[in-house]
Amino acid sequence: MSLRAHIRNRIDAWALKRNGMDRDSLVITGRRVYILPTRLGLFYTGMLFAMLVGAMNYGNNLALGLTFVLGSLALVAMHYCHRNLAGLQISSAVTDAVFVGQEARFRIALENPSAMGRHELTAARERTECTPVHVGVHQREIVEVRAPARLRGWLKLERFEVATRYPFGLFRAWVVLHLPLQVIVYPRPSARSTPPAPFETDVGSAQDSRRGDEEFAGLRSYHPGDSPRQIAWKAYAREQGLHVKQYAGTAVTSYWLAWDSLPDLGIEERLSQLARWIEDAHAAGRAYGLKLPNTEIPPNVGQAHRHRCLAALALFDGAAR
Amino acid sequence: MLSRFHLLPDAAQRLCWVLLALAIAVLPHLQHLPVWLVAIAAATCGWRLLIELKGWNLPPRFLRTAVACGMLACVAIGYRTLNGLEAGTAFLVLLAGAKLLETRGTRDLTMLVFVSYVLLFAAFLYEQSLLRLPYLLIAAWVLTATLLRLHESGVVMPVRTAFATTGKMLLQAIPVAVLLFLFFPRLPGHFWALPARGSAISGLSDEMNPGDVSDLSLSGSIAFRAKFDGEPPPPAQRYWRGPVLHEFDGRTWRRPRGVLFQSQELLQAEPGYSYRLTLEPSNQRWIPALDVASEWPENRAIRMSDWQLVAREPITTLTAFALRSAPNYRAGTTLPMPMRRFDLGLGGSHNSRTRALARELRAQAASDQDYIQRVLDKFRNEQYFYTLEPPRLAADAVDEFLFDTRRGFCEHFASAFTLLMRAAGIPARVVTGYQGGELNRLDDYLIVRQSDAHAWSEVWLDGRGWVRVDPTAAVAPNRIERGLDAAVAADEPVPGRFVRRSEILTELRLAWDAANTFWNDRIVGFDQKEQERVLSWFGVDNADWRALGIALTLTVVGFFSALGGYLAWKFRPPRGDAAAQTYAQLCRKLARIQLPKAPHEGPSDYLRRVAAVRPDLASTLEEIRSLYVGLRYEPAPMPEVLSRFKYLINAIKTS
Repeated sequence: MSLRAHIRNRIDAWALKRNGMDRDSLVITGRRVYILPTRLGLFYTGMLFAMLVGAMNYGNNLALGLTFVLGSLALVAMHYCHRNLAGLQISSAVTDAVFVGQEARFRIALENPSAMGRHELTAARERTECTPVHVGVHQREIVEVRAPARLRGWLKLERFEVATRYPFGLFRAWVVLHLPLQVIVYPRPSARSTPPAPFETDVGSAQDSRRGDEEFAGLRSYHPGDSPRQIAWKAYAREQGLHVKQYAGTAVTSYWLAWDSLPDLGIEERLSQLARWIEDAHAAGRAYGLKLPNTEIPPNVGQAHRHRCLAALALFDGAAR
Repeated sequence: MLSRFHLLPDAAQRLCWVLLALAIAVLPHLQHLPVWLVAIAAATCGWRLLIELKGWNLPPRFLRTAVACGMLACVAIGYRTLNGLEAGTAFLVLLAGAKLLETRGTRDLTMLVFVSYVLLFAAFLYEQSLLRLPYLLIAAWVLTATLLRLHESGVVMPVRTAFATTGKMLLQAIPVAVLLFLFFPRLPGHFWALPARGSAISGLSDEMNPGDVSDLSLSGSIAFRAKFDGEPPPPAQRYWRGPVLHEFDGRTWRRPRGVLFQSQELLQAEPGYSYRLTLEPSNQRWIPALDVASEWPENRAIRMSDWQLVAREPITTLTAFALRSAPNYRAGTTLPMPMRRFDLGLGGSHNSRTRALARELRAQAASDQDYIQRVLDKFRNEQYFYTLEPPRLAADAVDEFLFDTRRGFCEHFASAFTLLMRAAGIPARVVTGYQGGELNRLDDYLIVRQSDAHAWSEVWLDGRGWVRVDPTAAVAPNRIERGLDAAVAADEPVPGRFVRRSEILTELRLAWDAANTFWNDRIVGFDQKEQERVLSWFGVDNADWRALGIALTLTVVGFFSALGGYLAWKFRPPRGDAAAQTYAQLCRKLARIQLPKAPHEGPSDYLRRVAAVRPDLASTLEEIRSLYVGLRYEPAPMPEVLSRFKYLINAIKTS
């Protein structure tokens, strides 16, 4: 471990020890805010120092005065920078689940309870900052902290910073937060185009969609989670609202996506394959169920069902099988 | 056009801000910068603006490098150096132009704002006049607003907000800047030698041609100011001694180069005058002290053997000297040889008619004294005219003036008189300097302008030493008593004559000058001594750097605690109404007995839950609950309800 990383770890550990885990929705107190000059600030200091030496050398009081005004301005800016952060209320917002290999975006709500606007607030993790936001008087803004999702299961955001460089970018004030933020990471769907698993059908007619003998049964109103393929776009274009086409026979066909049907693969490959099937089935608007060694989710459709199945894959404990 | 500024894309707006900042910073330098340089800088600005507005690509790297190198070469060739204030400023301006062509992000633009700050700073090194102050304050404001605008990336900040915020911050910064100004330790002397500034400014010089002093007198600009402790000397004694000229070539008077005269003793009669002489920058070293200086700051000035005061370094900025002079003096008992030889020099074979006249007049005179009187009488009684616009003279300048043109300014009379003395065997020399000065009654100091430039003679009389003889006084006595304006004809171009005709204008001019003098003495000339004086107001005597440091730290820390408190107050979270505050107090009390409110719980649920755990509090909590619901939801709760509510909550014992 490099010395720099070591020092960083020590600082992080100290920061955690100092404040402990934070409750969700907390107000930043002034004493939690750290502040240091940025590189630009150091450059500015250098410029002021050169000005100071020059003014003293020329014995020029006005040049000296300008130097003092600029120096004093930097100190005033430092106080503004600090105040811009203190008193801010921070809480977690809903964070969407992601697949392995994607970037998790932890959403954090910044709320400004005071009567002065707050500028240039960013959230940062490991020195990558999001685009700064302006939080007006009594307003609330969402910022996103990005973290790569490398492993399936729960991804925790151990620590992040809320920072600001307002007003002149000469100082960076930040606060280290340990909010209990986590997001579920689904296994990465396998890229291989293995044909869909053998399916079992429910009692009822087993109809192959390719035969084309399904009968159009009518429209029902759209619910979140319905496949885009089934949306009646023509009706939508006629401004009749979002509807979904229903076919006779389709509702009774369901797929079982089973762990046991993939005996040749390792654990993670099996999970990936199952995730792929779930995604394909969901996109096609088919009903599907999931069979894992100690879990069984009956066939169903919709976003919540998809999440339930993918979460089961994400949290699958190979050892406990 | 301005009203549509906010419609521009953000990047273009930022660029406009930075271009404005640069323009404002360069403006005070325009007078020092060559035209070609300004044209190049303006062209790069225009080019960059077009790139932004038309969506062109930035010039490729090799082109940018070539432009930057070309500009550097231009400065190096144009100024023959990259060192010094002028070349440095020019270089900075071009550097900003070159940098413009590669600006992409906030960082690059910020650098340009920093360059603008440095240019403003350099503008002060050129000039510290009172008139510059408001401009520079406004410029600092614009630059800082630009800095703020550049660092606002979340939303586009309106122009008005940027100015309002930075204006407030600057006002908050000024108290500390003033404290720093007053208490920051001043170091005497320089860290490095100041590079000489190029162009000469009109003023005294170490040679005198016919026409030089009258040219100088056409300028109404101020040469120096003198503030006396007590009454200033009467007009007839206001001779300000500049360069003493010994060498003569028939036309031009010069200081001999490479000759060191032995110093002569000088007996000065007290009481003299103590005064503070504040010199406008001249790029010269002459200090025109009241004739003759008796005390001067020895580390900064030298008195030469012919008693002129010379600064150790050229006066490039407004500079003040604390001096003492004694106008009644007896100068010299013996005349050492090299000086006698120089001061009898006739300038070759020129001016033969003058020499003949000298021999003739001397033969008629009984003594040297009598001879001097006869020469002065000649000037006084014959047709000689004192004029600011003398005719031009050829090689035998003195002959021509004495016998042909008969019209001259003080240098013509001094020159002729001195030559007449030398031709008669009396050692004589020309002294240049200033004579007179306008008294500003508002602050009791003398203003001496270039138009008060003067030249007179000194003759060596055995037994009496060097004696000042002013031949101009013989021709135009008003010149000495009442100044140039009274001495020359009404149609001559005397500077400031128009102003002097009007009493109000004169008063205004003097008031403005008094303001400038205050500015120059108290602000521009603020030094260690002044600092000690300010500290003594606060009861700190003999302050050293340690006392200054402590004073500074205490006051600055005090100020910033106040500012921090002010900001905390401005950013305070809103207080709930009285009922909500009291309820929050109850929640804190209950949290202390390990029954904290869960975030999702409303008052009813929470208080019922607590009541279930603590039956001893149940009845009180139930009453509190119903009172709180009433306070919250009844249209106009009675004030007694609130006081009962408060009472109940205060009565709960948590220990």
